[in-house]
Amino acid sequence: MSDLVISVRDLTRSYEMGAEVVQALRGLDLEIRRNEYVAIMGPSGSGKSTLMNMIGCLDTPSSGEYWLNGQEVSRMGDDALARVRNKEIGFVFQTFNLLPRATALHNVELPLVYAGTTARERRARGEEALARVGLADRMHHRPNELSGGQRQRVAIARALVNRPSILLADEPTGNLDSATSDEIMRVFEALHAEGQTVIMVTHEAEIAAHAKRVVVLRDGRVESDVLNQPKAA
Amino acid sequence: MIPLSRIGEGVLMALDAMRANKMRSALTVLGVIIGVATVMTMASIVQGVRSQIFNAIEVAGPTTFYVMRYFSQTPLNPDNLPYEVRIRPVLRESDAEAIRQVPEIQYAGMWIQVFARLEYQGTQTQMITVWAADDHYMELQGGTLLRGRFFTRSELTGEQVMVLEEQTAEHLFGRLDPMERTVRVNGVPFRIIGIYLKPDNIFEPPGQETAGIIPYRAAKYNLRYDETNTLWISVKGRPEISVAKAQDLVTVALRRERKLRPGVPNTFDLITQDQILDIMGSLTSAFFGVMVALSSVALLVGGIGVMAIMMVSVTDRTREIGLRKALGATRREILLQFLVEAATLTLMGGLLGILVGLGLGEVLKRVLNLESSVPLWSAALATVVSVGIGLAFGLYPANKAAAMDPIEALRHE
Repeated sequence: MSDLVISVRDLTRSYEMGAEVVQALRGLDLEIRRNEYVAIMGPSGSGKSTLMNMIGCLDTPSSGEYWLNGQEVSRMGDDALARVRNKEIGFVFQTFNLLPRATALHNVELPLVYAGTTARERRARGEEALARVGLADRMHHRPNELSGGQRQRVAIARALVNRPSILLADEPTGNLDSATSDEIMRVFEALHAEGQTVIMVTHEAEIAAHAKRVVVLRDGRVESDVLNQPKAA
Repeated sequence: MIPLSRIGEGVLMALDAMRANKMRSALTVLGVIIGVATVMTMASIVQGVRSQIFNAIEVAGPTTFYVMRYFSQTPLNPDNLPYEVRIRPVLRESDAEAIRQVPEIQYAGMWIQVFARLEYQGTQTQMITVWAADDHYMELQGGTLLRGRFFTRSELTGEQVMVLEEQTAEHLFGRLDPMERTVRVNGVPFRIIGIYLKPDNIFEPPGQETAGIIPYRAAKYNLRYDETNTLWISVKGRPEISVAKAQDLVTVALRRERKLRPGVPNTFDLITQDQILDIMGSLTSAFFGVMVALSSVALLVGGIGVMAIMMVSVTDRTREIGLRKALGATRREILLQFLVEAATLTLMGGLLGILVGLGLGEVLKRVLNLESSVPLWSAALATVVSVGIGLAFGLYPANKAAAMDPIEALRHE
């Protein structure tokens, strides 16, 4: 059991939208083990964004339990959640979300600032993370001096720098052309091969095909959960 | 909880943001700059004025005091005097003579401050002060006679002669020798018999600079002046008696001269240097108070400007705030980031304001011929106040940023 990274039981989440109550998640169960590579899919309104926010500890459930790496996250307060996000989660966003005036290295160091790491160690680990995504020679460039693929790789380096339990990517290739998307997918595959747990939310089947396991949501529940067949070469 | 190094990083980040928006930042803190600069300038002027008043009184000697028809902190309108002033007689030479009869009194003389324009062959001065006094003028006011002489006994009877102040002489005559030439004082001719150099650091407000000294009677017979506000008897007791004692003796002598019966109030007022010092002190404090009030308005406006621009900045950077929260920043850390940014902004404004204030103070000191330095406490206070303004007015926007929901913030377009 100790290699369970994520354990979600009977999770519900409802929002009040004016007078209406929207049930985004209706009793969802999900388990993800260490070093899995999972794609979460589903049509819009299926609850995949809500689930991603839950897994990323940005939101808490209305009911049910969420255990992340042995800690029950579902009952935590704001500050505790912030610390969990800082330690356990590496976010990769569709729109990269880099600080425009900061260099690649500075962007990558940002999570370490909130972890209270010393400047010297931040720099060393930032450089190491950038090297891992193949950007050792672009450390002092600003985002507007980098291509879209390079920007997303900076964002991935930022997600990795805190050595998180899970890399959580939300439509990571949504803003990239197909050649660059392939480049990013190769980075994910390499990280997975090195032992990183990767969770990717996407609505593109082609992108999901890169994952080893595909979870499809519908109406706030898991509709299907299958292992991908290794692609024919 | 929050390490000091985090604040240092916040300051660096804020400076970086300011560099990116130089114009916007400068306009934002303009109010703070103006407010701080005003306080600094005023502090240095008030300081200078005070020290020169002390200087002037030191020259005149603390034993000098004055007899006036009526003493009022603000000049009275000579055309519409209140009843209690009108019933008092105008000071006469016989009053001064009566005081002079007291053995303990070293000097008593009629003095008039005449406001006048001086003119020599078409060259004119501004409105300045001509003192109508006697040959003891320098004993009371200090200064030195550069050339010529003071009045002779016979000239004191009303000869139209004048000891001209050195700078005024240069202004009117340039390289000409002013001696024995005739200057017109409000149109009345006066012959120059001497050149006088003012003591250093004498306090003279604009319009009251000494331009020359003429005999008392020459003014009395030929010039118009205000008998209530600008006519008095200057009195100096012998060094061995106290000012209080001298004042008592003068009061007795004047009451006898004016034949006032016991129980009847005095028909004159005595003013000591201490009283003048007090008045000057309260005037400069009032002036300073007004300037502080005005500059606090500027600081308030500056603070509101900072608040407005921080609100804009928070909205502009909603996604950045969302990102920082996603990466693990707590509420407190976001709050601190924006507070530090606001305080850095206003601190920069405060430092600029100090520089501007120092510069302005320097210029005004030259113009007003003051001698003073900016008090250190005012610079320290300005720094603290400007940081305080940043913190106070940055609190609301910073709190707004800290309270943002990371999911909403990340979704913000």
